[in-house]
Amino acid sequence: MRLKVVPISQRVASALAACLIVAGAVVSLAANRAKPDTSADRKGGLPKAVTAAPNRPAMDVAPVDARRRDKVRAQAAAIDAILATRWQEYGVVPSPSLDDAQFVRRIHLELAGRIPTYDETVAFLQNDSSDKRDALIERLLASPDYVSHFYNFWADILRLTERPQRNLIFEPYLAYVKDSIRTNKRYDDWVREMLTADGRLWENPAVGFQLRDDGMPLPYVDNTVRVLLGTQIGCAQCHDHPFDRWTQHEFYELAAFTAGTKMRLGAAMRPGKPGKEAKPVPPPAVRALVKEAKESRGRKAAQLIQFIQANATGVSFQDRPLRLPHDYQYDDAKPLEPVTKKLLWGSVPASVKNADGREQFASWMVARTNRQFARTIANRMWKKVMGVGLVEPDDDFRKENPPSDPELLEHLTDLVLRLDFDLREFVRAVVSTSAYQRRAVIHDPTAAEPFRFTGPALRRMTAEQLWDSIVTLVARNPWSVQRPAAAEIAEVASVDLRQASLDDVERQFDAFFDRYGPGRYQRMLQQNCGYRGQWLMKASEMPTPLPLGHFLRQFGQSDRETIEGGRTVPTIPQILAMFNGPITHAMLEKGSVIYETVMSHDPEETVDVIFLSVLSHEPAADDRREARDEIASAADPATGCGNLIWALLNTREFIFIQ
Amino acid sequence: MTSRLVLHDDPLVRRSFLGRAAGAAFGLTLLDGVAGKPLVADQPALPPSGINVIALMMRGAMSHIDTFDPKPGREEQGETKAIATSIPGLQFGEHLPQLAGLADRLAVIRSLTTETGAHEQGTYLMRTSYPQINSIRHPALGSWAVHVMGKRSRDLPGYVLVGNGNEHPGCGFLDPAFTPVPIADPERGLENITRPGYLSQANFERRLALADRIDHDFKQQYAGRQIEAYDRMYADAVRLMGSGDLAAFDISREDESTRERYGRSRLGQGCLLARRLVESGVRYVEVEMNGWDMHRDLWEELPEKVGELDTAMASLLGDLEARGLLRSTLVVLATEFGRSPKINENAGRDHHPAVFSCVLAGAGVKPGVVYGASDARGHSPDRDAVSVADFNATIAAACGLPWEKEFVAPNGRPFKIGHDGKPITAVLA
Repeated sequence: MRLKVVPISQRVASALAACLIVAGAVVSLAANRAKPDTSADRKGGLPKAVTAAPNRPAMDVAPVDARRRDKVRAQAAAIDAILATRWQEYGVVPSPSLDDAQFVRRIHLELAGRIPTYDETVAFLQNDSSDKRDALIERLLASPDYVSHFYNFWADILRLTERPQRNLIFEPYLAYVKDSIRTNKRYDDWVREMLTADGRLWENPAVGFQLRDDGMPLPYVDNTVRVLLGTQIGCAQCHDHPFDRWTQHEFYELAAFTAGTKMRLGAAMRPGKPGKEAKPVPPPAVRALVKEAKESRGRKAAQLIQFIQANATGVSFQDRPLRLPHDYQYDDAKPLEPVTKKLLWGSVPASVKNADGREQFASWMVARTNRQFARTIANRMWKKVMGVGLVEPDDDFRKENPPSDPELLEHLTDLVLRLDFDLREFVRAVVSTSAYQRRAVIHDPTAAEPFRFTGPALRRMTAEQLWDSIVTLVARNPWSVQRPAAAEIAEVASVDLRQASLDDVERQFDAFFDRYGPGRYQRMLQQNCGYRGQWLMKASEMPTPLPLGHFLRQFGQSDRETIEGGRTVPTIPQILAMFNGPITHAMLEKGSVIYETVMSHDPEETVDVIFLSVLSHEPAADDRREARDEIASAADPATGCGNLIWALLNTREFIFIQ
Repeated sequence: MTSRLVLHDDPLVRRSFLGRAAGAAFGLTLLDGVAGKPLVADQPALPPSGINVIALMMRGAMSHIDTFDPKPGREEQGETKAIATSIPGLQFGEHLPQLAGLADRLAVIRSLTTETGAHEQGTYLMRTSYPQINSIRHPALGSWAVHVMGKRSRDLPGYVLVGNGNEHPGCGFLDPAFTPVPIADPERGLENITRPGYLSQANFERRLALADRIDHDFKQQYAGRQIEAYDRMYADAVRLMGSGDLAAFDISREDESTRERYGRSRLGQGCLLARRLVESGVRYVEVEMNGWDMHRDLWEELPEKVGELDTAMASLLGDLEARGLLRSTLVVLATEFGRSPKINENAGRDHHPAVFSCVLAGAGVKPGVVYGASDARGHSPDRDAVSVADFNATIAAACGLPWEKEFVAPNGRPFKIGHDGKPITAVLA
């Protein structure tokens, strides 16, 4: 697939030497600035773990069925037909179709969350087959990068963070989400699993969804309905909203379904499901361990107690009545009166009439008859691909906030149902539309006229897309570290509190701390793929939430406390990071992907190679001339190359998705 | 210094600055008044440099009962005791000893009330005076302040946010130039502000010029607010890199005893940074403090948190006063809503929008005032209820901003700085 590698000529050899001088300057700068406490920082140069090509794929991803291609085309055509009618109706003109270069860049960013490499771009452009776009879509949807990108997408929605509270060790849940994407678990199955999971994070990491709002049963209902049904009932938690249809009474009626959720393992816990052990832990054992730790472990006691609590945390369910708040102020009921379970709409499926409240809630939620569940995810995934939802914001479906194209939204909802909630196939259909494969269109959310999808909306890359794109230019292996699997964490975190002595707990804590304690995991990353204080790895595999000053946070990655908290607005620190930050300079180092790519081509091709690497297209004739002049007139060719790469990274064209 | 300024004489950079000037009008032609000029003649005359603001934003909702509105003797009070202040008869929570000593400099408002008990919406309302809606983004108070009063420094930004920019409404529909510059960590200041050692000024300029030329077609094709906002940030970043005032961002230049005095907390060091920035000519500084959302085990975390606030804010007020800056600087302490008087089953307090407390001090504010009151349980306003819009209109009035004036946004609709709020005259000097 790769282009022919040209032997290094005399002139390239001299350029190579010059490039080393540039890299050398970086090294000396780092050395000058080195502070005494940054001994972990590499002295310069790229870590081996990222410059060596991996010898196997990062993970096995559920395969995509190429035989469905005709069906996908038909599904895409049906969507295009609706849009074409709409364009005619409103007299709008579709945006021009993407050429191959624009397509190969956009589709990589859309499905793999990064720009294509030089090799990927050139291979696609040189491919003459008529179905190459379909084939590329299929390949990307079954790639580890797809898993990484959609993990980032869901992490923003589900507020995935490693320590949502001091007593919660959440890595197993994070790994579970990633794994659900990797195996392409059907969305309805996935949601049901999370809404009804029992046990501890070690044995059943799906409990993380319920534990994310540990101690806040009412916000849990609010957040769950907001994320899964695109409906905001949160205001009704405190009062009847004057403009909203939901009353406080209705909120409590819905919350009554899950009111019996317990987050601390106790004697009352139900036996586990088949295959999953959910052991009841008598609280006295926990109390005794906590007491002993307090009395005998001095300064370490606080950490040990958190560790004990983490092991005593798990989900169980037994119906419990929910009462109205003490300050309930409306005439239809009295304060502290118990409420009866009632759904927002629809009814409990007959098959679970006798099941517990949580089971009924979950079954109602994911039932095919609960169209709003399918509609919400259809709108969400449409927005992921086209940039704008048919309902905006995507979590505020209301009569007063109707979809911009009801027919299309219902059509997409049908498609989700027809695909049995296979979201990956849904995305496959949408990116296969001719509407998607058009140039981006400016979307003004304040405009009076709704967006008509004459092409996808112009968007800045998300923080993760930008990071992973830059890493693509630097690291041949961006997967040198992966986030720990659920079982790996459980191995060092799980303690059976019914039988363990405090010494046992402490031994296990030490093992856990040694690997995942504050600073320890980071140090491992630094040693493996660190470069001037940055880790050259996939954004999805990094610790989370990252500190506010990290490149990803500067570019708007969520703090993972707000649902869909990621942003793409410009700030000055972003620009400074692109100008002067370590990550944009990593690619000027010997051994970076772009460096090696330039060096393995004829000098005559340098400018084209750089354009194809960074912007995924050949330069226009005058740009090629400008760039050649720049390299020719720079102090030396290496500096000229560095200037050109830097300049391309600092264009709007680079960070916006055309 | 001079050599740095040469950058702006570069024709290409100059062109981009001209682009900026044109951009300032783009989409905002209906907004009367140009940045830097007071908008209307009948406003009270400002001191030549105008008023500065340091706003401390307590994210997650600060418990009013445990801070500025204690209810001693009630079961709602929980574990926090009340202490006397420098105003006879007025009490604060026990973890605010220093601010209790400064109570005669403060205006405490105890009757704020709002409808929303959701953090995101509540914070948005507090920052903009408007409910969050889908069809428009409203400007934050700081952006209004810089828009109306102008910047005080040529190179430094008008508006700095010490904290997380993600949830911030920013400049709303105003010119992107009024977007706050986020500082992630006050200890680290403005990062990546200097060129790498191997990159000469001349080479940096070449790179900028080259990027500009290559980007020309793309920018033309997608000309609009999104791209323009990024262009603006690039221009501002270049200008900032050439500024001689960058030391303002570097709190390590303060002596150790000063840094200790503010407290080694994020808020403490953030307040110190805010003081330095205001001294150097930044108009509006917002400092965030996270972690007030105490649904469980409130009294395990609250004493430390309130203590940090006490140390930081008291030191800030003391320093500003000692330097004669309190007359020209308004200090605001705000939060999105209060916390429930009822203590929940997890020994925490839940969201409580019905009543909460905020504090003003300094420029334009009458010192030693308590305005409004909550009822005996701390549940609802007992008298003189104050909306968030009223509170912001009060801030606007204290700064001399035209709170009554209507500004027309690009969508043709009128907006006011404090929305429909009326200033509380009783707390204005």
